[in-house]
Amino acid sequence: MTVLDWLDERVDLRGVRHFVAEKGVPLHAQKAWYYLGGMTLFLFVVQIFTGILLLLYYRPSAAEAYESVQFIVSEVEFGWLIRNLHSWSANLLIGLAFAHFFSVFFLKSYRKPRELTWVSGVLLLFLMLGFGFSGYLLPWNELAFFATKVGTGIAGAVPLVGPFALRLLRGGDDVTGATLSRFYGLHVAVLPAITTALVAVHLLLVQRQGMSVPIGVERRLRPGERLPQMPFFPNYILRDVLAWYVVIAVLAALAAFYPWELGTKADSFAPVPAGIRPEWYFLATFHTLKLIPSHVLGIEGEHLGVVGFGMVAIVLVLIPFLDRRASRGESSRLFTLLAALGLLYLVSFTIIGHFAK
Amino acid sequence: MPFNVWTRMSARRRLAGLCLLVAMPVGASRAIAQPPQPAANGCIACHAAQTDPRLSAPAALFTQPDVHRDNGFGCVDCHGGSASATEARVAHAATQGFKGKPTGQAQVATCARCHSDAALMRRYAPRQRVDQATEYAASVHGQRLANGDHNVATCASCHHAHGIRRVSDAKSPVFPTNVANTCAACHADTKRMAGYTLSGGAALPTRQHADYRQSVHYTALTKRNDLSAPTCNDCHGNHGAAPPGVGAVTNVCGTCHAVFAQKFAASVHQPIFDKGCVECHGNHAVAAPSDQMLTAGAGGACTACHTAGDASDKGAAAADTLRTGIARLKTEIDDAGSLIRRIRNAGIEVSNEQLALREAGTKLTLARTEMHRFEVAPVEAILADGMKVVESVDRAGAKGVAELRFRRRGLAASLGAILIFVVALGLKIRQLDRRDPGHGATPAG
Repeated sequence: MTVLDWLDERVDLRGVRHFVAEKGVPLHAQKAWYYLGGMTLFLFVVQIFTGILLLLYYRPSAAEAYESVQFIVSEVEFGWLIRNLHSWSANLLIGLAFAHFFSVFFLKSYRKPRELTWVSGVLLLFLMLGFGFSGYLLPWNELAFFATKVGTGIAGAVPLVGPFALRLLRGGDDVTGATLSRFYGLHVAVLPAITTALVAVHLLLVQRQGMSVPIGVERRLRPGERLPQMPFFPNYILRDVLAWYVVIAVLAALAAFYPWELGTKADSFAPVPAGIRPEWYFLATFHTLKLIPSHVLGIEGEHLGVVGFGMVAIVLVLIPFLDRRASRGESSRLFTLLAALGLLYLVSFTIIGHFAK
Repeated sequence: MPFNVWTRMSARRRLAGLCLLVAMPVGASRAIAQPPQPAANGCIACHAAQTDPRLSAPAALFTQPDVHRDNGFGCVDCHGGSASATEARVAHAATQGFKGKPTGQAQVATCARCHSDAALMRRYAPRQRVDQATEYAASVHGQRLANGDHNVATCASCHHAHGIRRVSDAKSPVFPTNVANTCAACHADTKRMAGYTLSGGAALPTRQHADYRQSVHYTALTKRNDLSAPTCNDCHGNHGAAPPGVGAVTNVCGTCHAVFAQKFAASVHQPIFDKGCVECHGNHAVAAPSDQMLTAGAGGACTACHTAGDASDKGAAAADTLRTGIARLKTEIDDAGSLIRRIRNAGIEVSNEQLALREAGTKLTLARTEMHRFEVAPVEAILADGMKVVESVDRAGAKGVAELRFRRRGLAASLGAILIFVVALGLKIRQLDRRDPGHGATPAG
């Protein structure tokens, strides 16, 4: 008697067995993009495991945070590896999440009936950025300290609620140990709880609705024709596992050859070091805000920028409801163009922001 | 006749002058209750209209930032006369206490009237000293002036007479970065300095400013903006300006380089070196010190008295021993620093080693300081301590290199294992695909 048989006797697994046996993944030229979601999920799991291990030694206070990370990377057995894996997988995760987002955007996989999958996915992308922003401060080093000052300052520019948001984020008027406590709470409790729930919803929807087929492929099918399917188990899941192993190999190489620097401990009385800039995934936003004039038509430039980005975020969430042509299964060049412009903007402004002084 | 300008003024200027006169009593009554305000006066109105720059420049300068004007003082406080008179003849009348342009001793006395009055100065600049005039009287400038030499510097030569700024104002001629230029205005002027001699009878040199501009002190002050770096007045004094005598040089240098002075005072050279520190380091053109100075060979500071290669010259041998020891510690620190930087860049935590290297650097500085006693044994003891610290860093560095090797070997092994697994998985997937290339397709047509 196998474990599955033993379980089947107690918990009726017929439904699950049937689902696994019948589930297929449509075969077409763009099917490679499907793996990005699985790789992102895998990195999220890596984040959880390495994060839990770091929690064993990390101490969230302005007096001890830096020293505790220093202890992790120098004294704890394989602590350097865990910290490097956590830092690198966080960055790869956000990179892959963006890639997944754009692949879904270009393939119009958000169209009916997958609107809620898209909404949950975009919210997850925002949550990943929140993880990045809150986690960046936790080592309490100089760069992170001043970048957080700038970042929370931008949040303070939100009209009406800005000053409240700034104080809420910082736990006072300035970035202090209170900010670190808040960011720690956000990073290890609030965000993981919301993200886990949303990931569950996202996965449930993906499994329930199956993989989307690109509009072009779908339109080429004759009435009644169905695309050939690859069995999800084991053919597709093994490909997923293969992709995960490739990610592990990349992560291990990055951790060993490009270790994440700890920098110098944050000192609120120290002068602002040159070249303060946020993490790469905020560079495009940061550089755009820098380029906006101080006043545009009598409105404060920073307010305008922050409101603009807020509007863009809302529009992104609502894309499936705005793209009516795609929802009818028709080609939607306007939204393809929007996706292309968005990608071009993000890549070019990230590069410009990186080299800007 | 420059003084009866009022009569020659245009109607518009007269009106402006009268307006000022009307406004004056109001200002005066306010001055009792409020902090002093710049005094409105007829002197400015009248002098500003003069075509002779000697007469108009003071009015123009006094309308710019001026510490006296900002504190409510007016022209008459130094020059006497009447600011309310409408005619130059009345304004400049001797009965009004008009003194004209004070020069020489009169100028010093004019400034000292307030600046030597502790009670008065307490109202405007409570922390300012009030002994400048006394110091000046004791200075070379003051003594020469008392002997009738009107070519020497008085208060206004350095501080200016009008448009005077606080010493802390970067535009002030006596702000640290400007002092050398201010002194050089006279001391680098060969014509002006002609006839002046040093105490030994030699002509007073005029190269001091050019030499100073080559010095490590000038670089620190003007290039690194280190306002604590010395300029002319830090060694020669300002109000009590005098060249430090032969016996006082070490004391002057020692005000900043206290430990060096202390070590030198205990050295065998102290009774021999007439010019103290200057013997090796020079005075105005003090160059950045280097370990290479410590030799009786070429380029060394010991050459004048010691002979390189002379076995009987104990001083030359000691200099070589000191220089070699110091150079060795420096090289060891540099090498250890390179190693630590390399493994830090590779991700090994080295903050303890960086701290230790800083300690070794302190030992090197201590050795270089102790060297001024010119005794080998104490320096060698410090160098030995420094070497011990460097050795501990080297050991940690070697451990770091081993750790790096371990990490990379571990990575290579795990990457190999991953590769084997990926290949196996790929083969398995291929096998599965062959068995079931895709199902559920509904053929078209």
